[in-house]
Amino acid sequence: MADAGALDTFPKLMRHNAQVRGDRPAMREKALGIWQTWTWSQAQDEVKAFAMGLVALGVERGDKVLIVGDNRPRLYWTMCTAQAIGAIPVPVYQDSVAREMAYVVDHAGAKVAVVEDQEQVDKLMEIRAEVPGLETIVYQDNRGLRNYTQDFLKDYAKVLDQGRALIKEDAGRYDREVDAGKGSDESIMLYTSGTTGKPKGVVLTFDNVISMAKAGVEFEKLTDKEEVLAYLPMAWVGDHVFSFGQSYIAGFCVSCPESGATVMHDLRELGPSYFFAPPRIFENLLTSVMIRMQDASKFKQRWFKYFLDHAKQVGEKILDGEPVSSSDRFKYRLGEFFVYGPLKNVLGFSRIRLAYTAGEAIGPEIFQFYRSLGINLKQLYGSTEASVFITIQPDGEIRPDTVGKAIPGVELKLADDGEVLFRSPGVFKEYFKNPEATADTKTADGWVHTGDAGMMTPEGHLRIIDRAKDVGKLNNGSLFAPKFLENKLKFYPNIKEAVAFGHERDYVTAFINIDQEAMGSWAERNEVAYASYQELATNPKVQEIIAGHIREVNADLAKDPQLASAQIRRFLILHKELDADDGELTRTRKVRRSTIAERYEPLIAALYDGSKQAHIETQVTFEDGREGAMKADLDIVELSLDEGRKQAA
Amino acid sequence: MNENAPPQMADQNGMAQPERVFGDPLLTVDNISLSFGGVKALTNISFNILEHEIRAIIGPNGAGKTSMLNVINGFYHPQEGTITYKGNVRSAMRPHMAAAQGIARTFQNVALFKGMSTLDNIMTGRLLKMHNVRAPETGVWGLDHVLSWGAGALDFVTQCLYWGPNEKEEIRQRSYCEEIIDFLEIQDIRKTPVGRLPYGLQKRVELARALAMEPELLLLDEPMAGMNVEEKEDMSRFVLDVNDEFGTTIALIEHDMGVVMDISDRVVVLDYGRKLADGTPDEVRSDQGVIDAYLGVAH
Repeated sequence: MADAGALDTFPKLMRHNAQVRGDRPAMREKALGIWQTWTWSQAQDEVKAFAMGLVALGVERGDKVLIVGDNRPRLYWTMCTAQAIGAIPVPVYQDSVAREMAYVVDHAGAKVAVVEDQEQVDKLMEIRAEVPGLETIVYQDNRGLRNYTQDFLKDYAKVLDQGRALIKEDAGRYDREVDAGKGSDESIMLYTSGTTGKPKGVVLTFDNVISMAKAGVEFEKLTDKEEVLAYLPMAWVGDHVFSFGQSYIAGFCVSCPESGATVMHDLRELGPSYFFAPPRIFENLLTSVMIRMQDASKFKQRWFKYFLDHAKQVGEKILDGEPVSSSDRFKYRLGEFFVYGPLKNVLGFSRIRLAYTAGEAIGPEIFQFYRSLGINLKQLYGSTEASVFITIQPDGEIRPDTVGKAIPGVELKLADDGEVLFRSPGVFKEYFKNPEATADTKTADGWVHTGDAGMMTPEGHLRIIDRAKDVGKLNNGSLFAPKFLENKLKFYPNIKEAVAFGHERDYVTAFINIDQEAMGSWAERNEVAYASYQELATNPKVQEIIAGHIREVNADLAKDPQLASAQIRRFLILHKELDADDGELTRTRKVRRSTIAERYEPLIAALYDGSKQAHIETQVTFEDGREGAMKADLDIVELSLDEGRKQAA
Repeated sequence: MNENAPPQMADQNGMAQPERVFGDPLLTVDNISLSFGGVKALTNISFNILEHEIRAIIGPNGAGKTSMLNVINGFYHPQEGTITYKGNVRSAMRPHMAAAQGIARTFQNVALFKGMSTLDNIMTGRLLKMHNVRAPETGVWGLDHVLSWGAGALDFVTQCLYWGPNEKEEIRQRSYCEEIIDFLEIQDIRKTPVGRLPYGLQKRVELARALAMEPELLLLDEPMAGMNVEEKEDMSRFVLDVNDEFGTTIALIEHDMGVVMDISDRVVVLDYGRKLADGTPDEVRSDQGVIDAYLGVAH
């Protein structure tokens, strides 16, 4: 029998929070334009009723409960609900198409699915014939579902009523179920998107998630006063730890945005104190600020530039507590009043105490921009297999090109080939139904292979270079790290996505995706007419601008003798955006190299055979799952390499 | 688009298709003729719209479709014929009377207040539902009139101050608008001036404003014009949802035949101001006269 007093599972933590801070807010959601709040004791009541409702539906200990939808309080509670009765929640990316979902439902053997709305219900009904194990679908928003009369579809509210009836019969059952849970039980299964092959189900125990969430809370001294906006997919481990695990441990309130499109408005209204965003979001925010500033009056533009330049010089030093002259400090204060404060308010960062970014490299300019405004933005390194945290940058030791030090409890080492290995209490239990993959990744003594190539800086910080398997060599034997190049390119706001080629080739080439927002704004200001993304992308003037960016990158690479031969010699701008629906990106927007190499084989061939133009026909998948074809003739641009400085170096 | 798809699209999973049930005629036009000077826009048009039905009016350019909608909502007054709406016969309605009786419409060229936010635009649709808006007084100038004017003035002041019953009223109306915003999924543009929105979204805001009137009969003039495939699909979905959730009867003009055949229950075809055909999408599609009109046979 487990120790009922220990707070070793989330349902126990929920019960604890309902007792010690029952009147404090647990979750918020914006409904019909107004923030609605639930306290911890209200949340506990709902979890209790829904848990008994699931029991009434026949969910037993060890069953898998699929959770699909946008970030909604009820879906977060569903995780705790399932855990309370010993079932294992399996959150799925809400924008997965039906066939991706079929794989997960089938592989996990989910018995019940709790989904947000009609969109998800339709997807599950489409695949229902393939996954007979899925017995019941519970939906939370009944809009559009009035004519769906099937017995296996249940309204969340009705299940809640069933649960309440069961509580009347046996009031102590919920607590008995919760007490039966223990820390070593499986708490959640998260499917990793994976840049190669089918997704793998990572099984984490309560001990894994709670130990790492707690380590993070202690490392950053989080309290129950934090404000957090939960807007990243619930199926992603980061969201699970930041918006679920840490909230239960520290007792802070998590707010859900009204819809995916309103995140930026909601962020501003809420003013979170603790915020996580992938680099992409910080980039987009900066791009939108810069675009808006271009429309401001000349005076404001000068004012803005003057104070931002000042912040660039001293802002980071002030944030890190380094000595700064009092006149500079005074000028920074003025800047805070006139520029930084209002700017942070527009971005929703007025109250921010701690911000993380991870997942990809962040452009040094972008990183420094936010830090110079006084936002404590840090990088961390983690993975699903680690229950997120491996390294974090400690306060005062922030560098744009490292991911920080191992946090307490985590051991780190580098393999001979540079691969990063770690061992911690957060190390996952196993890949579900995949012992070979588990054995490949996790050694007998608990070390986990991350698959990332890294190095240690003299100060003991970890620096990640690329995926270990992606690091290749050019024919002349020099190093080719595609992601390193792509990241350098993507730091330009005009470039949304880049894919570099060069392994076992004579020289490096690249595909470029332009950023429609940034290039579109340029086109508008310069009266360049275009009707579609494709037309904009193939415009010669756009090509010129992109070529300019690539020349700058090449010049930068030329300074480093090791990287000088990795300069990009030929490139083309793709006629369509790389899209997760077409399998070109993962759901977390990482490039799938093999798929791209296959789909755009003729384009890659053209990049290396010296031709000036290439023709391509591609299949595209629309949002509703239908397919169509796209064809285009793309220009290939050839650049002269930066030789001068190479010799000088 | 699948040509053989039944009018309702919900059955992609092999679900039993719920029977479409219609009520009595909500609106009947009988022998309508309309001319502008010597130009005959409509000639002897008769058809009806049943309660809860989605009724399409189609035809080539200049066939008289928009004129027909304008007749229905009282903007044009036909020289001949009768309109029966909810059992009351009248030869012509004024637009504000039509609105008061539950007929709302959207326009072929978006007609919104460009400088106002989405929310404010939708709120204007609530005007007739506001409790403190008084109908213009008629009759002889007397004490009643003075009292009513005084009450109106007081009302105006409390409205300006956002105070008392007017505060409650505003909140009530706003919450209805928020329901519509939620329904049409336009939360993110709630406070954006509509002039800054792309065309497809402006169309959706216009639909939202029409819905704010809680109409019984909704007239949509080319709701999908100028939209791409994805926007059209969204709009079709919304039209079906409005019909389903609110039970609103819908008459729509549309050029995209795929859309018309997919979502409407019955179609009336006009050409050169005359009724060419009337029936279910399948009947209309196989009508020789319709085929000729669309392929351009000489008249």
